[in-house]
Amino acid sequence: MSLILNGDEVEAGGSVLDAVLAAGIELPHLCKDDNLPAIGACRTCLVEADGRIVAACSFPASMAKRVDTETKTARRIRRGVLELTLAMQAERGDEGGPLAGETASTASREGAAVDRFAVRTGRAVDATSPFFSFHEAACILCGRCVVACQDLQHISAIGLAGRGRDTRVTPGAADTFRESICTSCGSCVAACPTSALRPRGGAE
Amino acid sequence: MTRQVPSTCPYCGVGCGIVISVAGERIVWVDDQPGNLSSEGMLCVKGRFGTTFVNHRDRLATPLIRRGGELQPASWDEALDLVAMRFAEHRGRFGSFASAKATNEDAFIQQKFVRLVMGTNNIDHCTRLCHSPSVEAMLQQFGSGATSNSYSDYEASSCIMLVGCDPGSNHPVIASRMRRAIDTRGTRLIVVNPRRIDMCDRATIFLQSRPGTDVSLFNGMARAILDAGLANTGFIAARTEGYEAWLAAVREVTVEQCAEVCGVAAEDLRMAALLYANPPQLDAREPGSCLVWGMGVTQHTNGTDNAHALLNLALFTGQLGRPGSGVSPLRGQNNVQGCGDAGCIPDSLPGYQRYDEAVPAPFEELWGGGLPRVPGLKATDMVEQIAGGTIRAMYIVGENPLLSEPNLHHATELIRSLDFLVVQDLFLHETAQLADVVLPACSFAEKDGTFTNSERRVQRVRRAIAPVGESRPDWEIVCDIARRMCAHSGLDTRQFSYSGPAEIFAEMARLTPFLRGMSYERLDREGGLQWPCPEPGHPGTSYLYGESFPRGLGKFVPVRQAAAAEELPDTEYPLILNTGRMLYHWHGGTITRRVEALMERAGALPVAIHPDDAAAAGIVENDTVVLFSRRGRVSGAAVLTDSVRAGSVFIPFVRLGESAANFLTNSAYDAQSRIPEYKVCAVRIEKKRERKDAAGAPGIGRERA
Ligand code: SF4
Ligand code: SF4
Ligand code: FES
Repeated sequence: MSLILNGDEVEAGGSVLDAVLAAGIELPHLCKDDNLPAIGACRTCLVEADGRIVAACSFPASMAKRVDTETKTARRIRRGVLELTLAMQAERGDEGGPLAGETASTASREGAAVDRFAVRTGRAVDATSPFFSFHEAACILCGRCVVACQDLQHISAIGLAGRGRDTRVTPGAADTFRESICTSCGSCVAACPTSALRPRGGAE
Repeated sequence: MTRQVPSTCPYCGVGCGIVISVAGERIVWVDDQPGNLSSEGMLCVKGRFGTTFVNHRDRLATPLIRRGGELQPASWDEALDLVAMRFAEHRGRFGSFASAKATNEDAFIQQKFVRLVMGTNNIDHCTRLCHSPSVEAMLQQFGSGATSNSYSDYEASSCIMLVGCDPGSNHPVIASRMRRAIDTRGTRLIVVNPRRIDMCDRATIFLQSRPGTDVSLFNGMARAILDAGLANTGFIAARTEGYEAWLAAVREVTVEQCAEVCGVAAEDLRMAALLYANPPQLDAREPGSCLVWGMGVTQHTNGTDNAHALLNLALFTGQLGRPGSGVSPLRGQNNVQGCGDAGCIPDSLPGYQRYDEAVPAPFEELWGGGLPRVPGLKATDMVEQIAGGTIRAMYIVGENPLLSEPNLHHATELIRSLDFLVVQDLFLHETAQLADVVLPACSFAEKDGTFTNSERRVQRVRRAIAPVGESRPDWEIVCDIARRMCAHSGLDTRQFSYSGPAEIFAEMARLTPFLRGMSYERLDREGGLQWPCPEPGHPGTSYLYGESFPRGLGKFVPVRQAAAAEELPDTEYPLILNTGRMLYHWHGGTITRRVEALMERAGALPVAIHPDDAAAAGIVENDTVVLFSRRGRVSGAAVLTDSVRAGSVFIPFVRLGESAANFLTNSAYDAQSRIPEYKVCAVRIEKKRERKDAAGAPGIGRERA
């Protein structure tokens, strides 16, 4: 199977995102973890495929003939989505959150910037586990942790609860990670793109 | 600047791929390896968060020599000269333990030293204490002692039967792969365990059998399968021998009698048997069943019988040698498979080659010296024979027998009475404290090499940080001792001069037919490879016994239920103690006790007790309790749970504080494999009284026949 990617013919199986990354082209994909199936939630991986805007992570390469990552529309929507994501930073100066790490570098590459910050109500910190802590203020609700726990480890100790503005990441039915069925495997920590889940001690 | 170094997890036999992030010679984060075929991007808490022990302040930084009763720092030359001199004096009364945590290369060099330089086959490792009955039984019945399938077969199977193991605690990533099979494919799960383990949440059938009754369990299952006409007659006729004799033994019992012995419902036993023999069709794949077991089967006085009974069942139903089926003894330590493969066992050379006429010749030719032909002593016997003078000097590498041997008080007395003891390890643990010379070894993060995991996959270990203190890789230390002794032994020092682990691996592959196709170059390029891999173009082998068994036909071995355990409850010690593992600690805990976060999560020994027994003893949740056996005592925190059977208590065998399960356990042995009976002994429980109690443990050193 082959497709024309940014003008070049490439061989492709899997998703459009796989083809894009294999070709060495940079493209944001905040909610797609290397280890995990696509969630398709963050919309930062939008590209143009045969004239339509699609999420590269969940669009099969076999269904596309021509894919462009850098069209004006694709870039504009991606930038918009990234700016909304950046605006989720609840606390400036926090070591995590969308203004740090993976999200921040992706945003600057895509030319996204933000000066207004939404006021997030949730600023809870769960530091009950000796292995990692959770900082709600840095969470962008991408759901990667939930998928890691559920579809990779098959534990389902972490989930999204509430709706709309009240949506938040919780340790399942328990009040804290320490009391939950969490096995402390750290797959959610590794999956989190904003260090809302971050290792304690040792790691930096 | 952080660097990323791909390597292999140092904890359990799953052998997950890790990527170590290093900044300034310290490990700052451990990530998973998405492409690793054994772990598929997963890790557990120990692999991810448990490697800080590497930089722990307790790491041994220099060699130590006992002077005037005290262990004092010494130079490497001084220590090695002394070791070489004293070892030379003890030829003929020498024994050595190898480490199932060290690399294949370390293990290979150590057995080469023991055989070629010390002239003895007295070398063994911890398999003796965990799966020797499995290995023994598999060698007899199949001719090979390894797990027959791959982890991917659990995911391709229609039925998984877990017997006497708790993968959720001890092989967490295998547990994740099994959960995936159950959740996404509908694979059925049968759990056989005296304790309700976490995996029971997903089990179709849970048999809470009495400890020590596995022969009845498997013979009862066989009887049920026979009665239902589900014997795999084609497989039996074409691939096995000894069927009739075994069948006679099975016909002696009924399903009902066996269920009674095991303390389970006959109907459940029958259902489990039929599900295993005739697993459901879930998709286009041919349905198969995997049989997975742990120490619950082996650590009994009838451990080898149990293993035979289990393997008979696999032969009877033909549930092996195809994708989605197989027999898997879950291996404990990261390299317990490799340590055996590399020859650290008293009755065979590398690659499980026995000392027949033809076998040692290529070794002797390549190594330029003669090898001993008499099989050596097994680990448990080496310790026992210290008393009679057969063993007077020992070289213990990466093992802490004074935590892992049964009846610890007795073992300590024996080890203490050695003339010369050398311990080589990361920490000054219980055994090292008694040594005459202590040699500081590198951890997995400071050296190159390979580990072989439970699915026979040989994987690279890579140096991520500089050696801590003056520590050195095990193979280098052994080579240094060996070279000092070569002249006396008429050997060429070049036998112990290597440019590095790659050269050692090449020598091992050359002498081991099932590794011959592997090299560092291939492992680096292709990732881990599963043996047998007999030639360079061979892709490796994902499951064994497809066409035939290494011994030709698979052999049925009739077994009958013997006494469930040597020591059973009585009025003085009314409860059965069952030992096992916990997620947050590793083995005896020599390593995990040095990971702060793990200690914060699990710092006290949990004593699981049934609410009825607790009520009778006036114990409530979290009380400090003391367990007494005829041999010793331990204390811990009570956890009231109906996951254990009434009449039994469970503790993990990690040492926390002054408490280690093996102060309680019995040194009764299985006659064939010499495994100690860790799983069952009789105990009494009491709530700890508030007073200073200086009295020693009852019955210290009292020996059992
Ligand atoms: S650390 Fe806990 S919450 Fe996170 S993925 Fe593992 S089990 Fe789930
Ligand atoms: S499952 Fe075993 S090999 Fe994998 S990370 Fe955990 S301890 Fe390490
Ligand atoms: S990466 Fe495609 S939608 Fe998030």
